[in-house]
Amino acid sequence: MAKACKRPTWFASVALPVLALAASSPVVAARTTITPPLAPPYAGAYQPVGKDEIGLWQRDDEAEKHLAASAQLLVAPALTAYVHHVLCETVGEDRCKGVRAYIVRDPMYNASMSPNGTLRVWSGLFLRAHNEAELGAVLGHEFGHFEKRHTLAAFKGERSGQSLLAWASVLSIMASNYGYRDSHFDQMRVDVYGNLRHFDRDQEREADAIGVSYLNSSSLRPQAAAQFWQTVMAEQDRSAAVRGLKRPDFRGVAFFADHPPDEERAETDARLALPSAANREDGTAAYRQALAPWLPQLLNDQLKLNDFGGTDYLIQAMGDADGWSAPLYFARGELYRLRGNPRDLTSAIDFYGQAIALDPKLADAYRGLGLAQMRSGLVAPARETLSRYLVLQPQARDAAMIATLIQSDGDR
Amino acid sequence: MNRTFAWAVAALFFGTSMAMPATAQERSAVKQGFEISRLTSKRILVFAPEVHVGSQSAGGTVTPNADWTERARNNIQSALAQQQQQLGNAVIAAPELYNDDARRVEEYDALFAAIADSVIEYQFVKGNRLPTKKYDNKEGVFDWSLGQGVRDLPGAKDADYALFIFDDDAYGSTGRKLLQAVAILGAGVPMTSGSHRGYAGLVDLHSGDVVWMNADSQMGGDVRDPDGAVKRVREMLAGFPGARTNG
Repeated sequence: MAKACKRPTWFASVALPVLALAASSPVVAARTTITPPLAPPYAGAYQPVGKDEIGLWQRDDEAEKHLAASAQLLVAPALTAYVHHVLCETVGEDRCKGVRAYIVRDPMYNASMSPNGTLRVWSGLFLRAHNEAELGAVLGHEFGHFEKRHTLAAFKGERSGQSLLAWASVLSIMASNYGYRDSHFDQMRVDVYGNLRHFDRDQEREADAIGVSYLNSSSLRPQAAAQFWQTVMAEQDRSAAVRGLKRPDFRGVAFFADHPPDEERAETDARLALPSAANREDGTAAYRQALAPWLPQLLNDQLKLNDFGGTDYLIQAMGDADGWSAPLYFARGELYRLRGNPRDLTSAIDFYGQAIALDPKLADAYRGLGLAQMRSGLVAPARETLSRYLVLQPQARDAAMIATLIQSDGDR
Repeated sequence: MNRTFAWAVAALFFGTSMAMPATAQERSAVKQGFEISRLTSKRILVFAPEVHVGSQSAGGTVTPNADWTERARNNIQSALAQQQQQLGNAVIAAPELYNDDARRVEEYDALFAAIADSVIEYQFVKGNRLPTKKYDNKEGVFDWSLGQGVRDLPGAKDADYALFIFDDDAYGSTGRKLLQAVAILGAGVPMTSGSHRGYAGLVDLHSGDVVWMNADSQMGGDVRDPDGAVKRVREMLAGFPGARTNG
């Protein structure tokens, strides 16, 4: 029935991919060590050509208007401008000019670039990338999809694949009606879907190669691309380990996978990176500075994923790389307090203490510390800590509840 | 003889809509106690109708068509203005929006879309009615609301009601029609070609209540031409409180 799911879903379905009737489509040999030559940048503003592309652009323009007014958007002009700046650093001023960047508030890591030049970056990406070069690697990859018009090719392929299957299904019913039993329809369906996803993976491989090409010809360190995939794999590894699950398979290619496996991507990116560029700048300091005002909120969103292993890994990776700050200690305290085993509360008390040592005005750290103390049976210090929280933040939303907690006798 | 039978079957399937049994579903509802007379000479705020038009490939993939969409948008808007005048109400177009105002409208637009989906699924399909909507003998009652926050919508101060319109058309391509014919004639399988979904809803800008809603999954009228759009809008506004029967 009248589905009102208008916006992002439409885009997602189009950003899906393609068919393989065209085995001649752009495919990058996975084993190459040479990055493809960069296409010349557009002269002036590109305008869509042909009915399909014009149609896609119109929907995309509309989706962008909705996105610009969406509650999902992180309204962060400085950070958004910084993302655009990193894109320009990566792909060059003449290429990046027409692109509009948007930050979507979502704790998962993702980015996309749609046909009309809309760059969407999910806020979770900022916690996984550790410097400008890694962010640039992801943005360059997405820009590669854009420059090669992958969405359009994928859409056309999907459409022909579906039509082929529709005809085949009808013809196979006809065949069986006429007594011809051995229809090859099932095998054909497997072939078409298999080829569609294979084509997706090849598009991703091509975009990976283009992304590294941009970095190679920029002033950033191209080796960062492989680094990013290592971080992503390590996070998944930790997440699975803490849950007691098997180590994720970073090599195998699942039938429906639309991206190549992470390990392959890390290896290819490492091989394609210009060796002589290994000593270039990563842009770590500037990256940290741009991110600092948003770090507490990004960490808070990450905590809500309820992924103890992955989150703990990310916090530690940031602390080890850039030094431990109050927001990092605080987030780790929250992570442990929210899991809430007695041993976790002991760790949480320690982390909150370190956060307060670095930033004695961090009200929420007193709140967390007080609550962790209360639950550990340390009633007297808990009252003192929580009172301090209320002094620092008398207008807090939970002020009344905390005040009740301070006055209660504490033995539940 | 056999051939005649096949044609008869084809005629049967082509002649009727394949979407769903028409009797299982309601298409429109009015809030209880909402009086038709209350709607004469009221001011209705119309947010830009959401209109999408594309073509449906043989396999069912919809290709957006910019030209058709543009035409349909203009046609529907002028058909709307024309028919609203016949309804005896003043139509106010929503003002141009920026920043927080734009965000607020975007949010309510999405909220209305979510409510419309729920109404279609849980109100119009009778067997699906939710327990919370049935308790206290309210089974037959149409009771949905966006909440009083609608008062803060830009333009709400100067209007009594807001009209939301959504239209999504996919015209069957030649390939789709050919496949449809082969499917029914050769394989005996019925298949739809094209999809024409839409809904319209009227919201009270003081209480936020949805006072009237109409939704259909197979509407008539070709929105790509002006006359067709007039027919479509008439279908969309069917059952609109206060509408003259020959409107």
